[in-house]
Amino acid sequence: MSDRLVVGVDIGNSTTEACLALVGPGGAVTHLGTALTRTTGVKGTPASTRGALTAVGRVLAAAGRRPHELDRVLLNEATPVISGLAMETITETVITESTMIGHNPATPGGEGLGVGTTVSVLDLAEHPVAEPAVVVVPPGWDFDDVAAALNAAAARGVPVVAAVLAGDDAVLVTNRLVHPVPVVDEVSAVEKVPLGMRAAVEVAAPGRTIRTLSNTYGIATVFELDPDQTRQVSPVARALTGNRSAVVVRTPAGDVTDRRIPVGVLELRGEVRTTKVDVDAGAEAIMAALARVQPLRDAHGEPGTHVGGMLAAVRDTMADTMGDGPGGSDAADCAIRDVLAVDTFVPAEVRGGLAGEITLENAVGLAAMVRTSRSRMQAVAAQVAAELGAEAVIGGVEGEMAVLGALTTPGTRAPVVVVDLGGGSTDAASLSADGVCTAVHVAGAGELVTKLVDSELALDDREVAELVKRWPLAKVESFFHVRHEDGTVQFFDQPLPAHVFARVVVLGPEGPVPIGTRHGLDAVRRVRREAKRRVFVVNTLRALRQVAPDGDLRRLDFVVLLGGSALDFEIPDLVADALAEHGVVCGTGNVLGDQGPRNAVASGLVAAHARGAVRAGGTA
Amino acid sequence: MTTLDAPAERTLTLRETGPATRGTRPDEVVIAVSPAFGDPFTQTIVGVPHAEVLRQLMAGIEEQGVGVRVVRVWGTADLAAVSHIAARLSGSGVSVGLLSRGTAMIHQKDLPRLSNLELFPQSPLLDAPVFRAIGSNAAQYAKGQSPQPVPTRNDQMARPRWQAKAALLHLKEFECIRADAGPVELEVTISR
Repeated sequence: MSDRLVVGVDIGNSTTEACLALVGPGGAVTHLGTALTRTTGVKGTPASTRGALTAVGRVLAAAGRRPHELDRVLLNEATPVISGLAMETITETVITESTMIGHNPATPGGEGLGVGTTVSVLDLAEHPVAEPAVVVVPPGWDFDDVAAALNAAAARGVPVVAAVLAGDDAVLVTNRLVHPVPVVDEVSAVEKVPLGMRAAVEVAAPGRTIRTLSNTYGIATVFELDPDQTRQVSPVARALTGNRSAVVVRTPAGDVTDRRIPVGVLELRGEVRTTKVDVDAGAEAIMAALARVQPLRDAHGEPGTHVGGMLAAVRDTMADTMGDGPGGSDAADCAIRDVLAVDTFVPAEVRGGLAGEITLENAVGLAAMVRTSRSRMQAVAAQVAAELGAEAVIGGVEGEMAVLGALTTPGTRAPVVVVDLGGGSTDAASLSADGVCTAVHVAGAGELVTKLVDSELALDDREVAELVKRWPLAKVESFFHVRHEDGTVQFFDQPLPAHVFARVVVLGPEGPVPIGTRHGLDAVRRVRREAKRRVFVVNTLRALRQVAPDGDLRRLDFVVLLGGSALDFEIPDLVADALAEHGVVCGTGNVLGDQGPRNAVASGLVAAHARGAVRAGGTA
Repeated sequence: MTTLDAPAERTLTLRETGPATRGTRPDEVVIAVSPAFGDPFTQTIVGVPHAEVLRQLMAGIEEQGVGVRVVRVWGTADLAAVSHIAARLSGSGVSVGLLSRGTAMIHQKDLPRLSNLELFPQSPLLDAPVFRAIGSNAAQYAKGQSPQPVPTRNDQMARPRWQAKAALLHLKEFECIRADAGPVELEVTISR
């Protein structure tokens, strides 16, 4: 019996990998090469056949072999696990009666606190001399004219204490005043500022934040409030914290409320019991409820609520993708087997705001994982066999194969746990010393990170968010040098392109790409790392607890990280840091000693086949 | 009392104070005007007074807390050249170049002459608020910030409708070039 040529093919969520090897009669494996291509269609569906054939074609070409030499094609039993995402805002800030202006114009004018009565610049000429005036200037006024009007009023004896402008003129006006006063500008809805009311305007020095109007008792002092009224203004003070400038107008019923939006109830059906949780309670409460009902059989959202819509949308997409062909499934077949809730925030415009104020509203991101009742791998195998003229075998559960592949990493041995950090789901599989394999899949992975980055930075551009996730940042400080996110400076011989000048950029493979955000480099980096931590660290721990003996992480020895996201420049470090406190040896896999975290399942298929060949050889 | 909608007639006086020198302050933007700016031309192709153009540009820069110098380039009426000469005179390396018909550009000294940070090629579409925004952005570049580029308007009809006039204005401006004269510093007075 001579050596036989076999190829292992792993059809994953986003990539299809192949591993070509010669298997000798004694089970000896000689690896000839590997290949990688993008998965076509949804994994496990007939559409994914084309990707599989491409991968096989490539690996054969690279090794200089022909398809008819192939003895066997080994396919993985693709777990029909697909994940979907949804996000819902759960708080909103509402300002009533135009009580306050809390936006942060880039360039307010003057400095200090001014308290007086609001008066339109049109009526300033008739303003009584005794009364301090907070001048409100509608759009269309030229800065020279505003300054002249304020100076004229001041010369007449009117104490002009502050001004609120519609245009971006604060510094210009302040520079032209005989006696500079605090000026807040870029108030787009300035016509809504109530006139004839007591108001306070505060502007802090550059680099500082306001002290009086962000303090409840400061507002109480300014407006001489009694204790009951003071209690009412406390949300106003809180809303203004951290601003460089602010305006507070005292109106009879003005208020700022931080309202919770009822988004509905999530019903989690476990094997033994069912529990309900309010989604607006936040991610922590949802995850706690989920832990109580494990293992999850299905999840439902209350119909007619936001969460109901979220889950229905996820389910429908899954049903659509799985149902493209004969034997398609319907939505009822798709059971949600895991949910990951993540607290996040979404920059949203304040309702009732006068200057287009933006606050960070709380939101909950949900990743749901759907397991459908059928897999169509048989159809894929038949097509592959017909095309290549070789026998195609579906062998082995994905998790087990991944473990076998991971064990080709130098320095590992059973018992071992592999964690596959993918695009849609995070999978863990463990192999105990006596050869028992368990595997779990949890929802949420790379795509959720992209979505969090996208919404928290308000990029509204998935492509850019993906780049932010994948590559380090830098600030272009001149045309010839950038400062990297760790502070090091790199110089260039050729000038950088003009469109990246002075911007925070992602250093992608095709050169620097500018990020359209007002945030500084540090803020972008923090958002990126937090998103990765909340998804991958949380999910790795969650998955490991499910496969660890008695759920005790300390009893794990080796953890090998696999999958596309294990190639990331910081995710493996974040995960390893989190696992270090449990005394676990954790690192990125190096399949076959040279493939890195890639190709584990395909290599595992070949390894499993070789073992099987030995057994078959023994009986023959 | 007047507003932007009905701008008062302002007069622009540009007095030469000597050859333009290279600035040393890192917080300045240099505005360079072309040979015919202010005299003999007094307004852009669509009638925005030059006094208003310069006033708004300077206001945009001042609002950002950045200093401004104005120079006139005598040797050329090519916008890229005017802007690049100014960028090399600017302490921050950032400049705004301006032609009499209104075409404008934000330039930086390390860029190739024919490149730019932001270009506003369609002079008929530039009005006072756009000039303010150009000044504001130039100042923010000088401070090392990353402003959103000024939204460029586009009008398909601008070219057929205005091209003849633009060409005439350019020829006229070309006649004002003094090839042997270097850039000069200007003292700007805008009065009503």
